[in-house]
Amino acid sequence: METDELIHSLSGNLAPVAPGAVARRIATGLGLGALASTAVMLGWLGLRADLAQALETPMFWMKFGYAALTGLFLAGVLTRLARPAVRPGLLALVAGAPLLAVATMAVVRLVNAPPQLQHALLMGHSSSLCPWRILVIGLPPLVGAVWAVRGLAPTRLLPAGLVAGGCAGALGAAIYAFACNETSAPFLAIWYTLGMALVAAVGATAGSRLLRWR
Amino acid sequence: MLAGLAGEAGPYRRLLDELSGLLRAYYRRRCPPGVDAEDLVQETLIAVHTRRATYDTGQPFTAWAYAIARYKLIDALRRGRAHLRAPAEEADALFAPAGADAAMARRDLERVMAELPARTRDLIRDVKVTGLSTREAADKHGMSESAVKVAVHRGLKSLGGKYGGAAGRGD
Repeated sequence: METDELIHSLSGNLAPVAPGAVARRIATGLGLGALASTAVMLGWLGLRADLAQALETPMFWMKFGYAALTGLFLAGVLTRLARPAVRPGLLALVAGAPLLAVATMAVVRLVNAPPQLQHALLMGHSSSLCPWRILVIGLPPLVGAVWAVRGLAPTRLLPAGLVAGGCAGALGAAIYAFACNETSAPFLAIWYTLGMALVAAVGATAGSRLLRWR
Repeated sequence: MLAGLAGEAGPYRRLLDELSGLLRAYYRRRCPPGVDAEDLVQETLIAVHTRRATYDTGQPFTAWAYAIARYKLIDALRRGRAHLRAPAEEADALFAPAGADAAMARRDLERVMAELPARTRDLIRDVKVTGLSTREAADKHGMSESAVKVAVHRGLKSLGGKYGGAAGRGD
């Protein structure tokens, strides 16, 4: 086909584009993924037995808040990386703020704890399970994010995959917080972060292939 | 582009027209061998159209379109590479523009040299192209060193006379 004809047909049936289309698509992908993750969490692990009491403790909200805020900020970074020639910007630094806050609290808690308690604070009772569970629960949002982003126009696929994975991992961790009954900041800082990092690694590895668009 | 996002066909069409000219110039210089630059122009126009929602209205339009053009170019290079079997061909494709220049220069050189007597041509090739010393060339052709020098000099001078001096340089 001649280029002129192509231009003619492209501009012929031109539908207006609603503002916010990029953010909406990413929210849809992540939202559907998070829904699937919730189903996985409920069917596989179930809610923690003491959820009603836990909702009244700051520790639950710290866990949920750390993961959910990180996920929210990274979703913002992802809407930027899904566009051509847009850099992650300051938002990428902001996305690290919840981790910084949790890490600070973890260090304070550890330094002030009696030495015989430190091991328990770090390892909890589920450290060998936690990152893997977050990895599994984080995969559905990653699938949603990949679907959303490859329909847009990312031009730097590795960072886009990394951020998609980090965001999905954070959402997975936020959902896992409803099943997990660990209560220490050092545990959260290490094992939740590791779980999110695992999903981010999957995203970065798969991203440069799966995010290719034609 | 803003008008295009709002669904106004006229200005959008003018934008694509103008963009296709810029893309043609962009790909003409960078297009990998075996790929039609016009195909890339069209692919990019289609991508610009179908993914126009990713244009951020606060962003320069050219930066956005250029990033898509560059992505399409990289994609074409990646696909081209996947079709090649041997790594040597891969390297070849990468350096094809430079390789083509060298091949063209070699062809020109052969054509010009064909006009010289056989002996002089061999001497010039040995001394100036292959890089033998005057001594080695003299041994090879059973001549004295000074005879080699004289023959090479005369050969180059006659070429220089014919081709405006360009062939005589490099003494």
